[in-house]
Amino acid sequence: MSAQLPANLSAETVREISDARDEPEWLLEARLEALEALDELELPDVIQTPGRRWTNLEALDFESLVDPLNQADETTRESPEGVVVLPFTEALSEYGDLIEERFGSVVDPESNYLTALSAALFTTGTFIYVPEGVDAEDVKIRAEMNSRSLFSHTLVVTEESSSVTILEAIESGDSVDDARYFSNLVEIDAGENSYVQYGSLQNLDEETYTYSLKRADADTYSTVNWIEGNLGSRLTRSDVETELNGEASETKIVGAFFGHDDQHLDVNARVWHKAENTTADLVTRGVLDDEARSVYEGVQDVGRDAWSTNSYQRENTLMLSDQSEADASPKLIINNHDTEASHAASVGQVDAEDLFYMVSRSIPEEQARNMLVEGFFVPVLEEIAVDEFRDDLEELIAARLR
Amino acid sequence: MATLEIKNLHARVAEEDGEQILRGVDLEVKSGEIHALMGPNGSGKSTTSKIIAGHPAYEVTDGEILLHLEDDDFGDLEIPDDVRTWNLLELEPNERAALGIFLGFQYPAEIEGVTMTNFLRTALNAKIDEREELLFGEDDEEEEEEAGYDTSPMEGNVDDGEVGVAEFQKLLKEKMELLDMDEKFMQRYLNAGFSGGEKKQNEVLQAAILEPSIAVLDEIDSGLDIDRLQDVSKGINALRDEQGTGILQITHYQRILEYVEPDHVHIMLDGKVVKSGDASLASELEDKGYDWVREEVYEAA
Ligand SMILES: Nc1ncnc2c1ncn2[C@@H]1O[C@H](COP(=O)(O)OP(=O)(O)OP(=O)(O)O)[C@@H](O)[C@H]1O
Ligand SMILES: [Mg+2]
Repeated sequence: MSAQLPANLSAETVREISDARDEPEWLLEARLEALEALDELELPDVIQTPGRRWTNLEALDFESLVDPLNQADETTRESPEGVVVLPFTEALSEYGDLIEERFGSVVDPESNYLTALSAALFTTGTFIYVPEGVDAEDVKIRAEMNSRSLFSHTLVVTEESSSVTILEAIESGDSVDDARYFSNLVEIDAGENSYVQYGSLQNLDEETYTYSLKRADADTYSTVNWIEGNLGSRLTRSDVETELNGEASETKIVGAFFGHDDQHLDVNARVWHKAENTTADLVTRGVLDDEARSVYEGVQDVGRDAWSTNSYQRENTLMLSDQSEADASPKLIINNHDTEASHAASVGQVDAEDLFYMVSRSIPEEQARNMLVEGFFVPVLEEIAVDEFRDDLEELIAARLR
Repeated sequence: MATLEIKNLHARVAEEDGEQILRGVDLEVKSGEIHALMGPNGSGKSTTSKIIAGHPAYEVTDGEILLHLEDDDFGDLEIPDDVRTWNLLELEPNERAALGIFLGFQYPAEIEGVTMTNFLRTALNAKIDEREELLFGEDDEEEEEEAGYDTSPMEGNVDDGEVGVAEFQKLLKEKMELLDMDEKFMQRYLNAGFSGGEKKQNEVLQAAILEPSIAVLDEIDSGLDIDRLQDVSKGINALRDEQGTGILQITHYQRILEYVEPDHVHIMLDGKVVKSGDASLASELEDKGYDWVREEVYEAA
């Protein structure tokens, strides 16, 4: 076992959570199974470079971070017509069968210790269901974390030829003096020829440790686009993944992060090409100031049957301070050579010639630098479909610069 | 009437054991004058221009660069007597620009994510602010902090600043027309994906917007086709005629000098201005080449 099991964590606790929410038997069983698996499971893999383990999850004190019976959040959900957007628990009465069928089908609760912990203990989250042929724009979920620990599980199901754009934002409510833990699992089951854009904006206070795994299963001709924004938290471990299982399915995994002070951001983007004619585009842009650190891993895995694949990956980290640190490892695994693929990562500072060009036109140096940083994020901003999300992200970036 | 005065300028690359590049440059450019600066590759022309603008890659080891201002240089703005002469080497690059120095780059930077409109309006407002601060002292700190807060990379500073969005759009359109530039460039990112000629044209456009007292244009003519060369020349002449800008034009070719007729021509060799004359010097140079200058200079020495 790789992490200490919190003492207040028992089958009893899990039953209490499930009972309080009047959950069906199958869900209680799923929670208990996840709980049982904890003993056998390891923490998620982290990047290691010689002499260094970049994200030290072992050091997290789950014993004191996890307080399963006192979870609290305030979440608002806006849904356009035609699409079902419900708190996970409420959805169970009407959509129980569908949820039972799909829950855990994309994110295996037993992926690792943290996913199992989340599946056993989650109390919040959203169920989004887009029926066949429905086009829905601007689903907005805004969550506020009001407890020491919070576990969230979101399931998105899109039926054939439907489309939806989603914004999920999480921030901290009442401030708690001690460290906190937020866990967020998101699964997307994208039906044939459907389109999903799932945007996530994490801006938790800097006492919070965050773990997030988002994963999609893309069916034939479907498109799943992820936008992952991380600005808050003390430490974030974020994994955004798509399995391109259907022929001609596509995905974009677009990420933005901006760390400052001694924030630690461990962001990962992964795609598995498992069918013909699939396309993936992974774009991550990150900025680090002060003593912030980032670790990035991007994986493009082109399977044996993935003929005629297009797969691209770019990661760029911009360092605003000499004390910040970044590690990036883009990985390309090719088992079918009928592939057009590229992968690149860069870590650098603001370009001195760009800066001089701007100051020579009267713009004060600091303002010029800020404009360059804002401009650096534009490729990410341009991908965002939900206007409110773009505005929020822009604002958070601007606020951090000044 | 402004005068840029470069006296005995010596400079080297600002690194340990950095190469000495300028070895005593003397030049004087006044408002309304057009000067051409010519010289073989590597003789120090671009370096001179960048040092005027304040590039941090160079260290000035001797000499000075002064800017003398006169009453009418900033339109109706009264310039107090005690701030009419500036030692540029003591000023930050943006302060130099605010006092009317403009550098048109030989290789303009490409800046993704910052639109032309946002960039130029920000620059123009920053210039107006900074100039007031330099001439009349610190302005209200609070006001400054507030300005530029609510900004976005797509639309620019939403706060109006000195020159508002609508007023700026009008100004930009007018100047683009003069240069025969397509309006589509307004919303494009600064120089990103611009062709070589478009970038050069954009440098002149920026000068037209910022209305400098002295513009140093580094090989503004290289890479321009015949039509664009004429547009750009028209832009430079308009700068001189309408805004009274003094021009220091770095070039390798006689060609542009036919459209933008220089009052003075200077030749730089090995980090020094070794010969000056009128427009006929450029045509003489075209005929005889740099060896002729070299022989003349080094024989005399
Ligand atoms: N930052 C620098 N570091 C090292 N050497 C430099 C630097 N800048 C200029 N030099 C050198 O100084 C010399 C003068 O360069 P400069 O660019 O001023 O020439 P130029 O006259 O503009 O030439 P061209 O006509 O080719 O544009 C060259 O030998 C160049 O390599
Ligand atoms: Mg040059």
